[in-house]
Amino acid sequence: MSGPDLLRTEPPAPPRRSLSEAVSALRRFVRAQPLGAVALVLIVVFVLAAVLAPWLAPHDPLEQFRRNILEEPSGEFPLGTDDLGRDVLSRTIHGARTSLLIGVATTGISLVLGTTVGVVSGYFGRAVDVVIQRVMDAVQAIPGIVLLLFIAVILGPSVRNTVIALTVVITPSFNRIARGETLRIREERYVEAARATGAGTPRILALHVLPNLFASVFTLGSLIFAGVIIAESALSFLGIGAPPPTPSWGAMLSEGVRYVERAPWIILVPAALLSLAVFSFNLLGDACATTSTPACSGPRSTGRRGAGGRGGARLRASRRA
Amino acid sequence: MIGYTLRRLGYGLVVMMLVTVFVFVVMRLVPGDAVALQLQETGVSAEEAAAMRAQFGLDDSVWVQLGSWLAGAVQGDLGTSFYTGEPVAELFLDRVPVTLQLGLLAIVIGAVLGVGFGIVAAVTRGTAVDAAVRVFAVAFLSVPNFVVGLLVLTFLALWFAWSPPIVYAGPGEDLVSWLQQVAIPVIALGTGGMAGIARMTRSSMLESLGSDYIRTVHAKGARHRTVVFKHALRNSTIAVLTLLGLELATVLGGTVILEQMFAIPGTGQLIYQAVLDRDYPVVVACTIFYAGLFVVTIIIIDLLYALVDPRIRTGRALS
Repeated sequence: MSGPDLLRTEPPAPPRRSLSEAVSALRRFVRAQPLGAVALVLIVVFVLAAVLAPWLAPHDPLEQFRRNILEEPSGEFPLGTDDLGRDVLSRTIHGARTSLLIGVATTGISLVLGTTVGVVSGYFGRAVDVVIQRVMDAVQAIPGIVLLLFIAVILGPSVRNTVIALTVVITPSFNRIARGETLRIREERYVEAARATGAGTPRILALHVLPNLFASVFTLGSLIFAGVIIAESALSFLGIGAPPPTPSWGAMLSEGVRYVERAPWIILVPAALLSLAVFSFNLLGDACATTSTPACSGPRSTGRRGAGGRGGARLRASRRA
Repeated sequence: MIGYTLRRLGYGLVVMMLVTVFVFVVMRLVPGDAVALQLQETGVSAEEAAAMRAQFGLDDSVWVQLGSWLAGAVQGDLGTSFYTGEPVAELFLDRVPVTLQLGLLAIVIGAVLGVGFGIVAAVTRGTAVDAAVRVFAVAFLSVPNFVVGLLVLTFLALWFAWSPPIVYAGPGEDLVSWLQQVAIPVIALGTGGMAGIARMTRSSMLESLGSDYIRTVHAKGARHRTVVFKHALRNSTIAVLTLLGLELATVLGGTVILEQMFAIPGTGQLIYQAVLDRDYPVVVACTIFYAGLFVVTIIIIDLLYALVDPRIRTGRALS
């Protein structure tokens, strides 16, 4: 496992850093945040399981072994089988795939959308800001699960629709943090200096505002990712997420609970893995929120553009508490 | 301060209007309305269906429906449920206390545990205790509350043949039975909230413990305990209270699945069933109630902040 692959687990991070830089950043992060390192390892395992699911899983997750219904863990079925004779281990591994797919898609889309809206709103202010923020407030005022139920029922159960519903719910969170950071950065001296030297708005946004709010946005991204995994499983638990027979942890829980007396492993395995996956993303977010190393802060401008670096340092200092 | 209060209230009204419009428009996008669902189930004829639609006002345009709903709402009439025919306002008022009792108990438990753990972590900063508290907090945050509910419910039934009472009784009627029914959901919701509160308490305590006035208090010779509890903790109260307010929304959202699971007749169960049934008047009323609660909480928090920090009132510091 080399450095860049580890970094790739933080959703949309396209760091144009060299390999050695990335490795040393990673090393600093591991030393400063051992808990964060543990989380990173767990996430890598989770991602690998999801990506390599077709090769790792001993059986097809949908194949029904009619003679092996609700069978106890054995050599052929390491974690037993469910009520339709499907291999629990294979379904669990493929469940990671469903979770990760929905997590990456939702977090990625809402991060881009929310950040764009937040930066525009915060930077331009005035009427644009007022209109955008009231709409965001209205979306955020409706409890997430209610909004999710609403949209999922309207659109019908499918992976794509789960992503759409979750994106609507999550975008305002990214908007909020991006806007707050933009309001702060807008007033910084280096932005003033850039403006004085004649830099246009697009240039200021791209070179000064965006690089300096990445840290907060990525930290939120990790925590949001955890939330998305929970929400995805909750929706499929309620039967309005990814439709059966798609292997999904939430659906495995709601299907398995009826047979818990004969086969407790059907619900214990997905419950444990679901919690572990959420745990690792939360732990990473927690570590990022308290760290001062740039390993989880994405491609922030450091050194090369002196002005940008200063803002970054201040941001780190303010989050060190 | 009065001007600021009015501005905040105006803002709340705008947000509530947007929520209402949003709910109405989205409901109209739902393929298959309540009448169509009943048509499937009971085989109502096309003429009867048209008559039902006319009776419920479903054949009007969305704006006409919105207008007549608003006209009713200001007079306290939230319409009648498509299914039971009961007035939504009554249906709803019966259930609000159930959910609020559940939610408040969960928040109190989360707050007590969270503040406690947060203080411990802040005081023992950098030690193994601090790390342990942090990991525990994140762990509790990570097990989804419906999973906690499901596992506890299932395995209590399996191992001890214990399950919560089938018929719900409020705390006023039968306290023991009520506690048995809500204990698991309250713990599931409360421990989730606990984690966030512990984290917030820890960081804001550390911030105030590191500030100059704490050093001054120490220098004056105050006992360590006084410094921690009287000065640092008190200064962290606002941040923690803010989070508690926001936590209310999370907890209310969490009750949607848990009430379903534990047969608790609250608003969560009501809205879940109503969304599945396309029972528009109930969905609209519930959504607006939840949103209203959230907006009111936000406004109260904002006003509290403004009361404490005059810079906010003038509008430059935070917008």
